[in-house]
Amino acid sequence: MDAATLKRAASAVVVGVGGLLWLAAILFMAQTAQNSEQFSRLHPWILAINVAGLAVLVGLLATKLAQLIRDWRGHVIGSRLKARMVWIFGVLATLPILLVYFFAVQFLNKGIDSWFNVEIRRSLDDALVLSRSALEVRMREHLADSTRIAEQIDDMGGSFPGALESFRRQVGALELTIATETGTIIAVGKGFSADIVPEDVPDEVLLQVRHGQPFVSLEPQQEGGYVIRTAVRIGDASPGEDRLVLQGLYPVAERLGALADTVQSAYQQFGEKDYLRKPLKASFILTLTVVLLLSLLGAWYGAIFTAQRLVQPIQDLVQGTRAVAQGDLDTRLPLTSHDEMGFLVHSFNDMIKRLRRAREDSRRAQQAAETERANLAVILARLSTGVISLERDWRVRTVNRAAGMILGDDLEPHVGAQFDSIDLGKDTLVRQFVDACRERFTHGAAEWREQFAFQSGTARRILMCACTPLPGEGDEPGGYVLVFDDITVMLQAQREAAWGEVARRLAHEIKNPLTPIRLSAERLRLKLMPALADAKDAQTLERATETIVQQVEAMKEMVNAFSEYARAPRLEMATVDLNKMVTEVSDLYRAQGAIRGVRFTVELDPSLETVVVDPGRLRQLLNNLLTNAVEALEGQGEGSISVSTRRTTRGGAEVAEICFEDDGPGFQREMIGQVFDPYVTTKVKGTGLGLAIVRKIVEEHGGHIEADNRASGGARIRIDLPLQEAGTDSARGRGTIEPRRERA
Amino acid sequence: MSYSSPAAAHKLPYLARRALGWLLCLIATIGPLGEAFAAPELVVRDVQVVVDEGVYELDAKLDLPLPDGARKAVESGLTLRLTYEIVVDRVRRYMLDAEIASLAQRYEVSYHALSQRYLVRNLNTGEQHDFGTLQGAIDRVSEIRGLPVIDTALVSPGPVYEGRIRAVLDLSTAPDVLGWLLFWSDDWSAASDWKTWTLRP
Repeated sequence: MDAATLKRAASAVVVGVGGLLWLAAILFMAQTAQNSEQFSRLHPWILAINVAGLAVLVGLLATKLAQLIRDWRGHVIGSRLKARMVWIFGVLATLPILLVYFFAVQFLNKGIDSWFNVEIRRSLDDALVLSRSALEVRMREHLADSTRIAEQIDDMGGSFPGALESFRRQVGALELTIATETGTIIAVGKGFSADIVPEDVPDEVLLQVRHGQPFVSLEPQQEGGYVIRTAVRIGDASPGEDRLVLQGLYPVAERLGALADTVQSAYQQFGEKDYLRKPLKASFILTLTVVLLLSLLGAWYGAIFTAQRLVQPIQDLVQGTRAVAQGDLDTRLPLTSHDEMGFLVHSFNDMIKRLRRAREDSRRAQQAAETERANLAVILARLSTGVISLERDWRVRTVNRAAGMILGDDLEPHVGAQFDSIDLGKDTLVRQFVDACRERFTHGAAEWREQFAFQSGTARRILMCACTPLPGEGDEPGGYVLVFDDITVMLQAQREAAWGEVARRLAHEIKNPLTPIRLSAERLRLKLMPALADAKDAQTLERATETIVQQVEAMKEMVNAFSEYARAPRLEMATVDLNKMVTEVSDLYRAQGAIRGVRFTVELDPSLETVVVDPGRLRQLLNNLLTNAVEALEGQGEGSISVSTRRTTRGGAEVAEICFEDDGPGFQREMIGQVFDPYVTTKVKGTGLGLAIVRKIVEEHGGHIEADNRASGGARIRIDLPLQEAGTDSARGRGTIEPRRERA
Repeated sequence: MSYSSPAAAHKLPYLARRALGWLLCLIATIGPLGEAFAAPELVVRDVQVVVDEGVYELDAKLDLPLPDGARKAVESGLTLRLTYEIVVDRVRRYMLDAEIASLAQRYEVSYHALSQRYLVRNLNTGEQHDFGTLQGAIDRVSEIRGLPVIDTALVSPGPVYEGRIRAVLDLSTAPDVLGWLLFWSDDWSAASDWKTWTLRP
């Protein structure tokens, strides 16, 4: 049992017990109003209990009303409806109660007054007077008897004691007593009564007689009935003697006494009630008022309680609805009844249950979609292919990392922007790409595939791009997805592969005949030279064979160069101090250059320690580039060649950068993108394979090479060689690896 | 005369009744509930205890100034009830005093309209006397003469005994069916202070 249930049960018990006590108190109070003697003593206590109940009820009601007012001011849900219901219930209960109270008070006032109307009072007074009159006749008769006896006794002088009894029997008195005016009894005529003690003469009797007034009175008896007491003076006393008093006690007829008792009793009770009329009315009205107040307060408290019970499910519903509106679908309303409100609550709970289930399904689906999206994002992020998805209105929906890498700029910040408004600067790869795509879109092509050639600075980039519409509603596409890849390297590799094949075949087909040609030429000179007598002929032969031999040697050099380019040697990797090797090779050319007026500058990064390379191939690379640089400055007079190294980061990896710069004529702008292709040269003598071999060596080491012109004039070639992590096999020492071809 | 436990005051204490009455007056707002009388001030005086034939007998007088409201109530038929409460305690030094005797002497004063006499009834003995005036009846009940309190055999020599007496006056109806209404009207009901005396056997 939870705390709320316990509290409700306790409240119910308290209210029940209190209600029963209150009801009992009211009933007791009603009983007291019924003149029941036994409740006379309880009356104050019952009143006190009712007043206490009243006070408790006032307190409870005040608390409830204060709460209601607070709720009203605080705009608590349901407070206005509850207040309206309390008002209606309260007024509906109050009006009839007040009406009943008003008529009850009127009835009480008039009813109680009618009990004591003038007629009854007058009748009782008359009855009393009548009774007195009847008894006064007897009283006067007995007073006359007593007076006559007193005269006779006075006439008898001192011999009256013996006649007193005969007088008593004569007048039918109960007792005749002769006493002095001080109350001393002298003689008694009492007959044979059980009570032989004579009745004293009361002081007030003696007092009145002393004043010369006869005394007569009707005296109610302790054991019931009445006695008429008379007292008269006997004669005149002699000087110095006490006067005598005759007291007579006469019976009243039993019948007459009973009638007199009835009248007396009725008169006394009426007098009591008449005297208590005001408190009686006040008490009744008070009782009625207490009941009224209890009923009123109970009705108002009941109105609040009922309104609370009626409004509570509505409050629960409103709060539940708000909670649901705020996304809390765990709300469950308590089912307090099985009526229409209970049905509503049940339906609400059922609805919430369904909503929760639907939300759970939706959440799971969304989670699955998110998972798919995350997977897709990971896949897209790992793709080397650039992918850009667009909304139907060309707003950028997603961009993967490869797209930014291919286009040379971070496109993530442009997600949500118009694709055709992305402008990262004139002549940028992004601008050229966007322009190319926009041109396709504006021609109405929704699905297309095309190869673009863009100029990115000094480099020429070939992109293969495909556009596919995404499924949408109806015929309209839901968006577009652009998939593109940089195929520059791939095309280069294809070209290199082709050139390699050509070089291999050339070397194979040409190199073989060259030796017989040279041998044949030398044989011809040896055989024919002695036979020629004419010196002119001999000179001609000598010159011809010499030319043949020289050209054969030249062709052999060319074939060797082809062979060098085409061969796929195994790299003998070793840890090399790059700065040291650069210094050594540069020193070889420094002396040669000094002769031609070329100034050499070497700037080395001391933080650059060792690189893992094939030392022979790296030395060949340095030789080729420095040779090219020196040859580029031929005929120019003075010039300068700069070689520098530094540790830097490219593409998130640490690399060793070697930069060669000269202040010669530089590369022809239209040829910058092709300077590393075989047989591309601007020199008269050269095979056109020098830079091709350099790039090949760089790529075999997993590096990167690019060529451009300096802004101040002259060529610049920058090489990045990856710095392999210490601990790898090749880094720890010598090793042999296959040349890298992944770039191709 | 009869010996009994002290008369139980079956009504709420005077102040409590008065407070409750005022509270109800405020709540009911129905005006005055009863006639307001000035409460009479009862004083027991001239207390004397003498030994007569082996019995301690008590003489005392009571000042009983009866207000007009009470006179009117009696003339209207209500009964005036006067009770003398008498207690004898044995005084103890370190404990509460021990009650060794108590008695209540009750009188009723009523008006007999037919005979126009005021009746005084001793409820302990049943004796009844009638008087022509209310004052005569009041004078009769205001004086106690030779009221036996305790036998000397019950009072051992040595300890100190203390007697006390007080008078309680109120109204009643006869019979007592409307007595509860007097809750609202007998404001003049009163009780005297205890008057004490010392018994030294």
